[in-house]
Amino acid sequence: MSEALLEIEDYRGGFRTETGDFVPVLHGVSYRLKVGVMTAVVGESGSGKSLVALSVLGIQPPAFERTGGRILFRGTDLLGLDEKGLRAIRGAEISMVFQDARAALNPVFTVGRQLADVWQLHHGGGRKAAMGQAIEALRRVSIPEPERRARQYPHEFSGGMAQRAMIAMASLICQPALLILDEPTTGLDVTIQSDIMELIVELSRTRGLTTCLITHDLGVVAETCQEVVVMNAGRVVETGSAEAIFTTPRDLYTQRLLSASQLVEAA
Amino acid sequence: MTVVLDSPKAVARRRRKPRSWWALRIGIGLLAFYAAVALISFGWTPYDPLTPGIGDGYDAPSWAFPLGTDRLGSDMLSRLMVGTRYDLGIAFVAVLISLTVGTTLGTLAGYQGGALDTVVMRGVEIFQAFPGLLFAMLVVQAVGAGIVNVILVLSFVGIPDYLRLARAEIHAKRDWQYAEAARLAGNLPWRVAFRHLLPNSVGPLLAFTSINAAFAALVTASLGFLGLGLGPNVPEWGNMIARGQDGVMTGQWWVSFFPGLAILGLTGGLYLLGDALSDLTDPRRRGR
Amino acid sequence: MPPLGKMILRRLLWVFPVAFGVVTMTFFMARVLNGDPTELYAPPEASDALRAEIRARLGLADPLPLQFVHYLWDLLRLDLGTSFTTGQSVASDLWDRLPATLELGLLGLSLGIVVGIPLGVLAAVHREHWPDFLVRGTTLSGMALPQFWVGLVLISVFFVDFGLLPGPVGRLPIGMALPPRVTGFLLVDTLLAGRPDLWWLALQQLILPAVTLGFSSAAPIARVTRSAMAEALQSDYVRTAIAMGHGRRAVWFRYSLRNALLPVITLIGGVAGHIFAGAVLLESIFAWPGLGQYALQAIERSDFAALQGFVIYASLLYVLAFLLVDLLYMLVDPRIRA
Repeated sequence: MSEALLEIEDYRGGFRTETGDFVPVLHGVSYRLKVGVMTAVVGESGSGKSLVALSVLGIQPPAFERTGGRILFRGTDLLGLDEKGLRAIRGAEISMVFQDARAALNPVFTVGRQLADVWQLHHGGGRKAAMGQAIEALRRVSIPEPERRARQYPHEFSGGMAQRAMIAMASLICQPALLILDEPTTGLDVTIQSDIMELIVELSRTRGLTTCLITHDLGVVAETCQEVVVMNAGRVVETGSAEAIFTTPRDLYTQRLLSASQLVEAA
Repeated sequence: MTVVLDSPKAVARRRRKPRSWWALRIGIGLLAFYAAVALISFGWTPYDPLTPGIGDGYDAPSWAFPLGTDRLGSDMLSRLMVGTRYDLGIAFVAVLISLTVGTTLGTLAGYQGGALDTVVMRGVEIFQAFPGLLFAMLVVQAVGAGIVNVILVLSFVGIPDYLRLARAEIHAKRDWQYAEAARLAGNLPWRVAFRHLLPNSVGPLLAFTSINAAFAALVTASLGFLGLGLGPNVPEWGNMIARGQDGVMTGQWWVSFFPGLAILGLTGGLYLLGDALSDLTDPRRRGR
Repeated sequence: MPPLGKMILRRLLWVFPVAFGVVTMTFFMARVLNGDPTELYAPPEASDALRAEIRARLGLADPLPLQFVHYLWDLLRLDLGTSFTTGQSVASDLWDRLPATLELGLLGLSLGIVVGIPLGVLAAVHREHWPDFLVRGTTLSGMALPQFWVGLVLISVFFVDFGLLPGPVGRLPIGMALPPRVTGFLLVDTLLAGRPDLWWLALQQLILPAVTLGFSSAAPIARVTRSAMAEALQSDYVRTAIAMGHGRRAVWFRYSLRNALLPVITLIGGVAGHIFAGAVLLESIFAWPGLGQYALQAIERSDFAALQGFVIYASLLYVLAFLLVDLLYMLVDPRIRA
């Protein structure tokens, strides 16, 4: 068994309602992300999979209250860090790609400028050099005419193009050890989905990234990931290698998920 | 569990509610208080509000005159109570008229679309290039003071806002499947617009009405202050502030001060109510 | 962004129908609603013939459409008629008084912006905590209180009770002569005339009315800034900025404020427009010799040429304020160019 980069141990918490009641939503979530491996976290919306991922970076919704657990990154508990400590981790060590890339980019700055800003934040250097790096990163994720595209605003990008830019920002500009992708292809056309997934796989292979793919789409998982974590209603119901999960699912919920995605018949 | 737990917006919505309930309660409470005062003033006031010489003139607040008397010695509290009828009543009726007319026109324009819509909206845009307070001042000055004139002018000034709001609401919902279904079920177009679509927009319209009523009350007071509103001796709050203006310079602050507080309570209550209503009925409202 | 030039052009051209509409409305309000101004000029014992002559001289004998054409033609030549109270051309009367209103208006609006935006940001970043409640309470009263009352209270406290600031007697203490007009702004002209003593006096006179105006314009600006900023702070792009490691200050001032200021720009146009309408009330309290006071006198004396001139001035300035805001918006918001 290889070494784990991130370990989530018995993470639990919930939301406080307006009447003051506490509704627990995470009931002790535990899983590990191994170095250099692509792990999928699978579950329906509402299973709490995104909430856990956001908690890793400390950007969970403010109404969420943690009641227990640890999130260990290289042995340090991220939940014990203050704002300054978290900021040192964000982007530089762990970075994240969000679902709707066009909304996730700031509408009033050019795409190139946003990438260049992040470059300067983590690597310093001048404005010009940073913009050069931004354009290089856009070229690397196969955005045509990167010089021109860098001067455009997010609303001038298609959803797929914006997601490529977002991936460039999170992986190539930040150069993290761990990349978390939260439903990166949801809402995109099917053909574009597979292009984006190819890009993600290719980037993480060539750069030796540890990757965590959060998705509800088992089809995507089968083709790309080595490890799978299945979550349901705030609990991890099954973990294992992709092969094991797809061929011999032990948990009832996993079996249901598989049959619903019709992968069983295909396999 | 069917709730989408990981949507931050859904959570924010849930958290905003309790504060809005407070604003709603305070707003409704203030309005109810003013309405009660207006009603009571028909049957009882401490002194006759229109009779001068009850005090010596410029009596400071005391047990006999809790809010003092004005230059002519009329009791301020009695005048303020009666003034509630004017400021509350005028705002209420004016807003009711503009709500009805503006919403009807806006619904028609939004549902019909096309040339009618364009003409109406351009007309509204031109009309709104004219400052509302200025328009009210000019027209009241021209047609003469009096409650009816003030109400008519205020309601006229308010119409374009309702028209725009109703139009935008209906326009956005015209192509809903829900509307389509209502049409397919054999409803006439106007029925779809007014019976099926408009009720969906009651929240934003009510919220705006509340804020618009505050504006109407402020304009009423402004007209009164300029001596354009209701005639010189009418105990309307703006009028009373104007009458106390000389006293302010010589230290008799209460004659102008208390009517201002009365306005603050009424318009503040209306703003609170409007804010609360728009928070509660349209939680994902855009930050305009 | 090729359509930007075209959009600006279209927006500029739209000014003409709007201005025409405003001017037409003014005509009808002044001529039709106001009735026959002959009585103001004619002595009570005047004969019918004299009245008819006065009517003809005023151009009121013509049919209404012809009167309208005359009126438009005069406007094009910038002739706003003659005020019968001052006996001077309305255009020059207004020109004389414009700087007083503009100086006060610009100062008040700047105060409103300088105070309102930071208050809004403060409230947004401390949402649902005490700075937020404090700002919301203050801005609520700023919206709910009539401007003229706020002015009176300030006078009562700072002049009558404590004597810290001069009373409401206009732009300079009574008996002081204005410096020669260069810009018309006293804060500039006094310095150009080499009179820092006058500058100090003029500033003191300005403080109370400007603060009154600033208070009532800061309120809506702070409210809109707060809600726009709060919205931006909850947005996906701010979450991205945080996830990428940007610090709190960069997130607030670089990645949220700029987005939040877009709706504020629109609002400021409206507030600027209202300053001219509100001038009528404010200037009457502070005896400020500006457009508003002129209009109020015109209203009191039924001086329709003067009134009509003021209305045209105020509404055209209003139209201009909105034009500037729209153009600014087009330049600042990249999305609108799509």
